[in-house]
Amino acid sequence: MQPTSSMNEQFLKNWQMGLQIFRPSIDNTSVSERKRAIKLSADVAMASLRKGTTCWSRALIQKAATEDSFLVRQMLAGIKEETLINRKLPKIVCHRKIVRRSKKILMRRKSSSAMEEVTAKAKKLVKRKTKGLRNVVPGGEFMSNNVLLIQETLDYIVSLQTQVNVMRSIVDAAEAGVER
Amino acid sequence: MDLSGRFGARSGDGVPFREVTGLESLHLGGGDEFRQMVPPENGGGFTALLELPPTRAVELLHSSSSSSSQATLHSLGTLTFPSNPILMERASRFSVIATEQNPNGNISGETTTSSVPSNEHIKTEPAETETSDQAAVEKQNNRCGKRKDFDKKVKSSTKKKSKSSEENEKLPYVHVRARRGQATDSHSLAERARREKINARMKLLQELVPGCDKIQGTALVLDEIINHVQSLQRQVEMLSMRLASVNPRIDFNLDTILASENGSLMDGSFNGTTMQLAWPHQVMETEQSYHHRQLQQPPPQQWPFDGLNQPVWGREENQDHGNDHNSLMVGSASLHPNQVKMEL
Repeated sequence: MQPTSSMNEQFLKNWQMGLQIFRPSIDNTSVSERKRAIKLSADVAMASLRKGTTCWSRALIQKAATEDSFLVRQMLAGIKEETLINRKLPKIVCHRKIVRRSKKILMRRKSSSAMEEVTAKAKKLVKRKTKGLRNVVPGGEFMSNNVLLIQETLDYIVSLQTQVNVMRSIVDAAEAGVER
Repeated sequence: MDLSGRFGARSGDGVPFREVTGLESLHLGGGDEFRQMVPPENGGGFTALLELPPTRAVELLHSSSSSSSQATLHSLGTLTFPSNPILMERASRFSVIATEQNPNGNISGETTTSSVPSNEHIKTEPAETETSDQAAVEKQNNRCGKRKDFDKKVKSSTKKKSKSSEENEKLPYVHVRARRGQATDSHSLAERARREKINARMKLLQELVPGCDKIQGTALVLDEIINHVQSLQRQVEMLSMRLASVNPRIDFNLDTILASENGSLMDGSFNGTTMQLAWPHQVMETEQSYHHRQLQQPPPQQWPFDGLNQPVWGREENQDHGNDHNSLMVGSASLHPNQVKMEL
């Protein structure tokens, strides 16, 4: 599924709304401040496309709220912003040492045939990659199972794509405008 | 068949065999979508196992495939109801039993039939052949487990399964069959269903991320996905930095202009969108400078300029939306100068 045009429009609308909030204080001139404002409003705009239905969008909104809760509140404007901002799921915490030790014991007990070793290694690799994926996708640590993780990743990628497309168009327009 | 007698004799295992009473079914909510998801994964893992299916299995296959072929028409592309691949599994199981019991006479006869179901399989579910490559780790696991257990366990006759297979298609939830050589307790069934869900979604991801279809193996695919997501995130950073480094007035004002063009923004192409609703005048003045230079192209169409309030939705819809996003500048810029002239 590729980003649809209605998604693009929606994202742009939300993004505009977010940027409007910064408009009065436009003389916070440092580039990094402006960049932060732009990125933040873009992220919240992207997350608000999903209106809190997906895990990553909620996590993204929460992250943005820690940076600028006023912006988030304005942008979400009534779509359960309080619940979105304050709720936090328990992280899945595994004490790595304990897990590793128990795994070692298990491996010792098993009589390892060649096949089992290979599959075990492959599984380890896959697990490592899924952990990496959790780190990349916002809110990944809170997704309890892999099915959810992959589903969220799918949605997240599509949303990221719309964000990138719209932003790129705007930036190209703006830069072409300034070029002269 | 004389085999059923042997099944009866061996059914006194400790393994609780639930298929006797009815269907081992897992209600995996999400009806249609899931049904569409599950079958390709099931069948894909089994194409390799369809070594020597007997004619009986082929019959079963035909009987179910005809009923499920209608389902394929309804569902997206190549997805079918679960009964078909599940039936394939049973067929393969049965075939393995058959070959073990009668190693002598039937092998030659069965090789000919093997091609038929695999063809059937390929016709109805072409997408599945990819899946067998996909989650190679897990599929391998299954296959190895089965080859080891061929000598050990025996499941119930396929007759019962064929009856229950027809019921599969009517009921709203997915019936997951225990494969040959695997435990039938709900845990492993649930686990298998979970695995199939994951594989289905991985497949979707592979289609989404460019360059992932060729890759085999879950770990590498995940690698690609991670890279893709990271690159997208980096792009967002870069773009926001670029936008911020552009003259501040413009980037925030540009948006107010475009804000008025709401409905007409397309897949990256903003052709002709700038003629929307009222433009704030102070913004106009700042735009003049950079819009003027964009007199590269004559405007594609004549715009009604009165009041700047002409909605151009209709025209917008007629344009093709497959353009590159760089056409934004061409489209929007070409209209600005006209408007600016009007203002002046």
